[in-house]
Amino acid sequence: MQDMQTKPNGPVAAAFVAAGIGSLVLGLFVVLNEISPDINSFLKFDANYGLGSGIGPLSGKIALGTIAYLVSWVVLHFYTRGKEVNFGRWFAVALILVFAGFALTFPPIFEYIVHLFPEA
Amino acid sequence: MELTDRELWTVLHGLGLGTLFLLAFGGGLAGLYSLKPQLLTEEGIAERTPRLLLGSLVMAIVAWATVISGTFIAYPWYRATPPEGLDQAVQSEALRDFPRYWLLASDKTAEWHKLGMEWKEHVAWIAPFLATAVAFAVLYYGAQLVRRGEIRRAAIIFFTLAFLAAGVAGLFGAFITKAAPVA
Repeated sequence: MQDMQTKPNGPVAAAFVAAGIGSLVLGLFVVLNEISPDINSFLKFDANYGLGSGIGPLSGKIALGTIAYLVSWVVLHFYTRGKEVNFGRWFAVALILVFAGFALTFPPIFEYIVHLFPEA
Repeated sequence: MELTDRELWTVLHGLGLGTLFLLAFGGGLAGLYSLKPQLLTEEGIAERTPRLLLGSLVMAIVAWATVISGTFIAYPWYRATPPEGLDQAVQSEALRDFPRYWLLASDKTAEWHKLGMEWKEHVAWIAPFLATAVAFAVLYYGAQLVRRGEIRRAAIIFFTLAFLAAGVAGLFGAFITKAAPVA
């Protein structure tokens, strides 16, 4: 229920979910980097695109995570602008995405996932 | 008594920005927690809203500054590759200039890299995402946040998660620097 004395909550919900998307994308690329040598090479944005020097695939992971965060924020912001959304539901989604991102960056978890792929 | 360039940068990255982050977190969390209509008068809300905005903005900016300086300045020193011919299986004095390889050269220290650095270098980047979302919520609502309990509570949770992400990174950073300094 919207509090009529305040602004609609859509843009804030969008910002929270976008942070979750950025976290998840970062975590996904942490795993993919370990699974595939091709993705590992692609993620070396320092060598491929000059993003930093001597950082290796971390440059690609953080670049793609940050881009996912910013792009999803812009898209979701325009989608939710002026709208009152079910904030509890949006925040639950954001939390799930953030926790997934946390989990996928934790070495014992991403190493376990990597071991599920025999070619890795 | 002197600091090398590398020591200066790592102190700025870890101690300087880390302390600012901690201060901003403490102030921001207290501000968010106490932003309840039953605890504050209209004057009280108007008085503390700018401080809350400042705290949350500083936390977001410092979080970005910390991960950018750590990733683009300190991390390449940590990750530097030893020259050909230098034995990477023995923790020699010459290998000390290459902290990642020095840690991996012994079973006693390898986990500082395999668990500590591998987690730190990634999880730290979640902190600015979360802190920026909180700063946006405070900026967007301003004093109206007092009437948006669900968003205030969500902001507290994100703020705390941002602190935990940064805390993991900071703690491992301190331990790894102790075990294998980049200086």
